[in-house]
Amino acid sequence: MARPPGSPCIVSKVYITGLGLITSIGNDRASITRSLRELRHGFEIYPPFDKPDVPVKVVGTIKEFSVDSSDPEDWVFPPRYSIKREILRGLAPNSLFAYCSMLQAIEDARLSPDDVTNPQTGLYAASGGSPFLTHHYHERMLKVGVMRTSPLGIVASIAGTLNFNLVAHFKILGASCGFSSACASSMHGLGFAYEEIRTGRQQRMFVVGAEDCNTDSILPFAGMRALSLQTDPNLASRPFDVARDGFVGTGGGAVVVLESEAEVARRGVRPYAEVAGWGQASDGYNVAISHPDGVGLQLAMKLALKDSGHAPEEVDYVNAHATSTPIGDASEIKALKAVFNTPGVRPAISGTKALTGHGLSLSGVMETAFCAVILREGFMPGSAHISQLDPLCEGLNILRATVAEAPKVVLNNSSGFGGANVCTVLKRAP
Amino acid sequence: MADDVHKNTEVNGSKQPFPTSAKSFTAEDEATLTEALKRCSPATIEAAIKFRKTGDPTPVPTVVIGIIERFAEPDQRARLRGADDDLRLIEDLGIDSLTMMEIVILVEDALQMSINNDELRNLRTLGDIKIFIDCKVRGLPPPKPSRFLPIEHIGAVMPIQPPFLFLNEATIGSTSASAKYKITGDEFFLKGHFKDNPVMPASIMLEAIGQLAVLFLIEGGHGEEGKQADPQTIYFTGCEGVRAHRICKPGDTLTISIKPKRLKMPLATIEGQIRVGQEKAVYVEEITMTYGFREAMAQPAAAAPAAAAPKSVHSLPAAAARIISPAPV
Repeated sequence: MARPPGSPCIVSKVYITGLGLITSIGNDRASITRSLRELRHGFEIYPPFDKPDVPVKVVGTIKEFSVDSSDPEDWVFPPRYSIKREILRGLAPNSLFAYCSMLQAIEDARLSPDDVTNPQTGLYAASGGSPFLTHHYHERMLKVGVMRTSPLGIVASIAGTLNFNLVAHFKILGASCGFSSACASSMHGLGFAYEEIRTGRQQRMFVVGAEDCNTDSILPFAGMRALSLQTDPNLASRPFDVARDGFVGTGGGAVVVLESEAEVARRGVRPYAEVAGWGQASDGYNVAISHPDGVGLQLAMKLALKDSGHAPEEVDYVNAHATSTPIGDASEIKALKAVFNTPGVRPAISGTKALTGHGLSLSGVMETAFCAVILREGFMPGSAHISQLDPLCEGLNILRATVAEAPKVVLNNSSGFGGANVCTVLKRAP
Repeated sequence: MADDVHKNTEVNGSKQPFPTSAKSFTAEDEATLTEALKRCSPATIEAAIKFRKTGDPTPVPTVVIGIIERFAEPDQRARLRGADDDLRLIEDLGIDSLTMMEIVILVEDALQMSINNDELRNLRTLGDIKIFIDCKVRGLPPPKPSRFLPIEHIGAVMPIQPPFLFLNEATIGSTSASAKYKITGDEFFLKGHFKDNPVMPASIMLEAIGQLAVLFLIEGGHGEEGKQADPQTIYFTGCEGVRAHRICKPGDTLTISIKPKRLKMPLATIEGQIRVGQEKAVYVEEITMTYGFREAMAQPAAAAPAAAAPKSVHSLPAAAARIISPAPV
């Protein structure tokens, strides 16, 4: 079976069959669906920011979890997640969110222990690690000596904490890896996981994103003036609004289960959606600022559409990266205009970070999960909190309110530091 | 505060209080200690404070057990409470090496001592840990680590041989020994004991305890440096207080353990027991044996094949290989 050099050996379609979500707008699919439909945000004035020298005030908080202590045994989380100390001791807040999301996703996809543990099932993950615990362990090391730091301090706090913990505790035997491309990380994870399945190297992949949601994970972004200084939770995150002034930080966890056609048929499950293609391209421009014309994002969208076999005019809905920063949103607006430039082609566009805040590494897979919900439930969420649309958006169909129309083809955008851009195309499952 | 410490040092006299007691134990230290031990029982915290204040090592085992208990899974904690010193941390309590590190770090923190990796590797049982920490606290050298002996080694040194050898593997410590024997069902005596109902004879289980005691003596458990128990001199003399609690059948793995009660040549008295899992099977208050030392060790010239003779009492394959004459206990 020789194949021409350069062409991927595609042997299977890939479906999303399970979701797990711990987010600022809900900790289960039902409440998240309602938040997306009714445009309920998850923002609160965050008490640790209530200091005169901290101008940032609003955070997309994770409810029902209290993980402010550096000692995991102090943490409080919903009793439906029973976690042994042996597991807990190696977790950071982000890996706790991911752990709970994994349990949800496995239940949601109706996977048996054997479905989870076999050489054909892998796990890709993305998080920025836990700056909070890194800080704590370093401080302890300096205070009490190098031999008295927690033996699990490293695995709990560095960027690979998700894959280390989840692969070990869920007994994953297939491919496993972590991705590190800042806010595009978990979309990279999704893209490469999709690749594993469609080329037949794996039958099932868990794609995981998670981030802490605390001072140490959010506030460092204040230095580059990336955070919104709005004190009103109803105004702080407003992508595409002319008065947007930065993103609102959040954390949480998201897991998407991808499966091959054969596994979907064998298990007789109903998928949320099909992953139809993906593409990525880079700006090659600035370490932290996106290209003013969004050249990398343009190319990534075009490549993703080409990979999926869909023309731009077939796209019904775009879940924009749209973090609510002045520069980032402007780049994306220009990129969208460049891709959807055929007269009369106006896919509905919204940014769900207006509701959740920006989950950094988590955001790509979290928004993929939102798109899966949207495709199954048949609605398109509005882009919340816009009081005055940025005039730059002229010609784009930025949804101002939720529409009860079922999209068939959805494009999901994600961009990260260094000008990394990743897009995926999802479509309604048959 | 400094005066208190001085007074305590005098009170303890020869007990050699732990060096840190020379530093004063402040209210701040007490708060830090209480915080570090916050998930331990009140008795553990109290014992740690007492040790830190006085340097008296008596409460140290309470601290150590309390810290182990805190790290054990809740369903295992009950086992720790009534446990004897043979309880193994990894095999019996399910404590892994990372949890061991957590235990060590908290013990170090609570008792203000440091334990290095080499020392840690030798601690397998509750008894190992108690003795180790006790030596540390008193400023004594730590005891020799326990050694694992596979069947090949046991077969080579023991005067008792199959089909009458009831030890598959053994671990010999300085003050205790343990061994395992799996009842296969092929033991010759099970054909008749009983008819159509194979049950391990209680007398054979006592024999297994005795055999472990023989191995303990041969491996230097008598405690006299430079001397070697002669396998041909070891014989059973008596036993006291035997109780059988559980019927043992093919498929059961016997965990045999002994502890010396009195050791003075020519008599060795040990206490022994057999468990199957956590169930007590046999207990014997005392088994007493005679033993003597090997002459050859004192007179190297007399031992002709001594070129390959062992340098230490802990390895004696050359000598042992010659010994096959049975000496049942």
